Amino acid sequence: MTNFPSTQSPYTPHTPADVEAMLLDLGLESIEDLFDIPPSIQFPDSFKIPPRSEHEIKTELKEIFDKNLPLVEFLGHGYYSHYIPSLVDHISDRSEFLTSYTQYQPEISQGFLQVLFEYQSLIVELTGLEIANSSMYDFATSIGEAALLSGRISPTRTKILVPDILRSERLSVLKNYTSNSGFKIESYPTRDSNTDIEKLENLFSDDVSMIYIESPNSHGALEESIKEISDIAHASGSLCCLGTDPLALSILEKPSSLGVDIVVGDASVLGLPNAYGMGVGLFACRSEYLRKVPGRLVGITKDATNRRAYTLTLQTREQHIRRERATSNICTNQAWVALRTAIHAAYLGPHGLIDLAKQCIELPLELSSKLNTIEGVHAPLHPRHYFREFVVRTDKTATEVVQALEAKGYAVSSIGDHELLICITDTNASHLDAFVDAFKEVNS
Amino acid sequence: MSNSPPRYDQAKWTSQSVYEPLLSEKNMTEVSLDDVPLPSNLKRNSLTLPSLSEPELARHYTRLSQMTYGVDSGPYLLGSCTMKYNPKFTEDVAVLPGCSIHPDRAPHTIQGTLEILYALQEHLATIGGMDAVTLQPPAGAAGEFTGILIIKAFHESNDDFSRNEIIIPESAHGTNPASAALGGYKTIEIPSNEQGTVNIDALQAALSENTAALMLTNPNTLGLFELEIELIASMVHEAGGLLYYDGANLNALLGRSRPRDMGFDIMHYNVHKTFATPHGGGGPGAGPVGVVSKLESFLPAPIVIKTKSGFDLSTPENTIGKVHGFYGNWLCLVKALAYILRLGDSGLLDASAKAVLNANYLGSKIQYEIPFRPFYHEFVASSGDQDAAEVAKRLLDYGVHPPTTKWPLIVPQALLVEPTESENKSTLDQIAASFNAVLIEDQSTLKSAPNSTASARIDQTAAARFPILSWHALDPSL
Amino acid sequence: MTFSIPGDRIYSQSHEWALVDSNIALIGITDFAQDELGDIVFLELPTVGDILIKEQIFGLVESIKAVSDLYAPLSGTVLEVNSTLETEPEQVNDDPYNTGWLLKIELKNLSEIETLLTAEEYGSQTS
Repeated sequence: MTNFPSTQSPYTPHTPADVEAMLLDLGLESIEDLFDIPPSIQFPDSFKIPPRSEHEIKTELKEIFDKNLPLVEFLGHGYYSHYIPSLVDHISDRSEFLTSYTQYQPEISQGFLQVLFEYQSLIVELTGLEIANSSMYDFATSIGEAALLSGRISPTRTKILVPDILRSERLSVLKNYTSNSGFKIESYPTRDSNTDIEKLENLFSDDVSMIYIESPNSHGALEESIKEISDIAHASGSLCCLGTDPLALSILEKPSSLGVDIVVGDASVLGLPNAYGMGVGLFACRSEYLRKVPGRLVGITKDATNRRAYTLTLQTREQHIRRERATSNICTNQAWVALRTAIHAAYLGPHGLIDLAKQCIELPLELSSKLNTIEGVHAPLHPRHYFREFVVRTDKTATEVVQALEAKGYAVSSIGDHELLICITDTNASHLDAFVDAFKEVNS
Repeated sequence: MSNSPPRYDQAKWTSQSVYEPLLSEKNMTEVSLDDVPLPSNLKRNSLTLPSLSEPELARHYTRLSQMTYGVDSGPYLLGSCTMKYNPKFTEDVAVLPGCSIHPDRAPHTIQGTLEILYALQEHLATIGGMDAVTLQPPAGAAGEFTGILIIKAFHESNDDFSRNEIIIPESAHGTNPASAALGGYKTIEIPSNEQGTVNIDALQAALSENTAALMLTNPNTLGLFELEIELIASMVHEAGGLLYYDGANLNALLGRSRPRDMGFDIMHYNVHKTFATPHGGGGPGAGPVGVVSKLESFLPAPIVIKTKSGFDLSTPENTIGKVHGFYGNWLCLVKALAYILRLGDSGLLDASAKAVLNANYLGSKIQYEIPFRPFYHEFVASSGDQDAAEVAKRLLDYGVHPPTTKWPLIVPQALLVEPTESENKSTLDQIAASFNAVLIEDQSTLKSAPNSTASARIDQTAAARFPILSWHALDPSL
Repeated sequence: MTFSIPGDRIYSQSHEWALVDSNIALIGITDFAQDELGDIVFLELPTVGDILIKEQIFGLVESIKAVSDLYAPLSGTVLEVNSTLETEPEQVNDDPYNTGWLLKIELKNLSEIETLLTAEEYGSQTS
């Protein structure tokens, strides 16, 4: 099949004649002569990993993946996906995009730089804030980076306020990002799936660096008082940070008009299928924070022919120049995922984004009202506006309901003894009525 | 076949004052939200974005891809990035049905996914000689930060709160001190010795009861193997510190030496470097962290464990918590596993063999001076009287993605070159011919480069003085 | 490359200069410093009324390849800041000793002047 010895990696292109000629040029007998590792730390054994062919691996891994139960997922809780048009795969898989790296040489990377600039512009349009970076790792780490940014803006303040319904994973990441920089995390109460404004004012002091709010939040509810919250924050000199996603932003009031100073989230709701939690961190903020912003920024300039061109800019903020005083330690980010988000959003256009976002309101309305007709079921738990998901209360225990639904082929999550979170989007909408029937059977 | 360098001309479209127009210049459409079922105080008035058909988008993005350069386009010499070939079959594995799973699925319903993660944990542990691995950190720098948190938790669990310093060589990658600072540590930089390796005297002077850890990569960023690594490890351990391995240069050692055996307590792997997952224009990657058993209980939560009935997620007893909202960059992890299975022992051993052979062969053909030797998988040349950044611009005209320039600082006008094992002999000859052609070119040729890339020389100063970061900033009417 | 080092000024080891006139000093960075930095794109400077303490950081200067702290050569109170640098940071490159001045301060301790270097001393240090 090949001219290459079977002991060779399938991806090293050297023929035996090549190797011989190269060694001859180097005046060496064998490749091993190039290694002078002390014998005491040489590894003489094998890893006991036999090499396999492509076909064998694809077959083996497919068999392994087939062990996953083919449940219809009604899962959300901060991680969502929608149908991805074929264009996204076919463009993002083009190997110039896929196999390139950070655009340290802009002249040869104008294409990817322009896509990232268009991605930044998309986020600027959606948030109304002037600066968007070209990606962070995910939702949770973006919250951490926002907290650190607030610390650079107000170095004497040490408190970050977070909602009491915040996903515990996000809280854990936030703590890791901030605990070694002198921050304390404190939670503020929510009531009926929205921020409890009355209790909020007392929590603010000149020690609060930033309040973090989410919309849609952990219950799928849209936060209705963002402007009041940011007013309270600003009155005591604190910043207001909103966690959300680009599809929600397509129809929600612009965060900048509501006094929000920083927006974070997961942009991979567009562009990435369910990928076991992999995403892309969205990060946007006001222009006055420009020099303190983390992450890569693509900017416009001119080239020597006086034409418009793109480049990474303000790199002196970053770790490869500023080292321990960098605005973040981030180097490799999620650029290729941001590329997919940009393509998906461009494919939908403003009409498509609004239509898809409308579905995120209409589907939960339809599903919750149908579930609510079931005896022993109350949906949604609180009267709010829901985006993609909502909380359902059942007389039966949540554990019982989850298990019974799983036996019927559905995956849902529980967030309390009698509370479930149900997520419905265009990806599982075709199962709506069957799901309702199953839910009814399970709760009878 | 002569050894003259090839000619490269990057495809591009040019219309007057721009190359490819922005989407915002093609059909910006403002759409109102009147029929969105939300009260008006919750929704925006309108959304203004480009509205284009699929054929127009396909053309726009295809043109942009042609103005981009990847490993599949030609040699990509960035040092310590390991820009090796990305096997295509791994892309197909990542889209297998069953691969696309929501992270909140109960473990007993996703035994396949957990089996995959467990296999990767095990293989990485074996390759690094470590006792336990977390796959959660979503990049190398995130792995470093995770390592820093584990180091801190370890010392604190021993009631050792005085250790607030991390020692780092001057030649270390910027993410090392940046990650240490994020962990609240003070960084102590130590210079290298005349051979370019760790200065033992400087290390001794820097070690104290305040030392939490020493962070090293081996081979180092000059491509040199730290022959005194066992001595270094014993010095650090005697001072009560831990030894951290930056896995960026692991490609040179695959199958030949394992960080654990050198004395490292904790390491990160860069799957987008050593394990060939695609770099994607700046990510995603993944930075799994491996540890010796005394650090195992501090790993981020959860890790995958094997049980009698299959696989499960488990929270380590003294876990530092989470460093990613979920389980890390899952798709990159799947691809890395597929790569390891494809290569197996013999392939991994061959990868390091050819990586080191290629670097040495290329180094012998390039006529620029290489002051520090003997090197492994990468070397640092000096462009001498020529400015390294200018040399890089001119190399673009020969279709060679340039090496890292002006770093590490120990070599003036540094060019850090890592060809990887993916290049064949004739390409290496062409790369050398390109370097040697640039070597004898005059300053005005270098200054006017590049001439054959999509854009001409970029004005970095204008970009930084007047930052324009969105099409809104470009055109305030938008 | 010879750098301009005007004789009418005094210099710090960290490449700042001061032009003293009784108890007022004009402060900036040297020709050597601006050359090392490359094209300057941004400066972070104190505001009028701020206090400078000798050898402590009072601001920073950013080029496209580096960020450098600015160290106060002398102690004093800021009287004036060169506001044209907000829109024309390149003045520091083009004319570091005149139009590229950074601050004017009222000196707190005139004896500090003796601790700075003369033009000759600074010149031999940077050669």
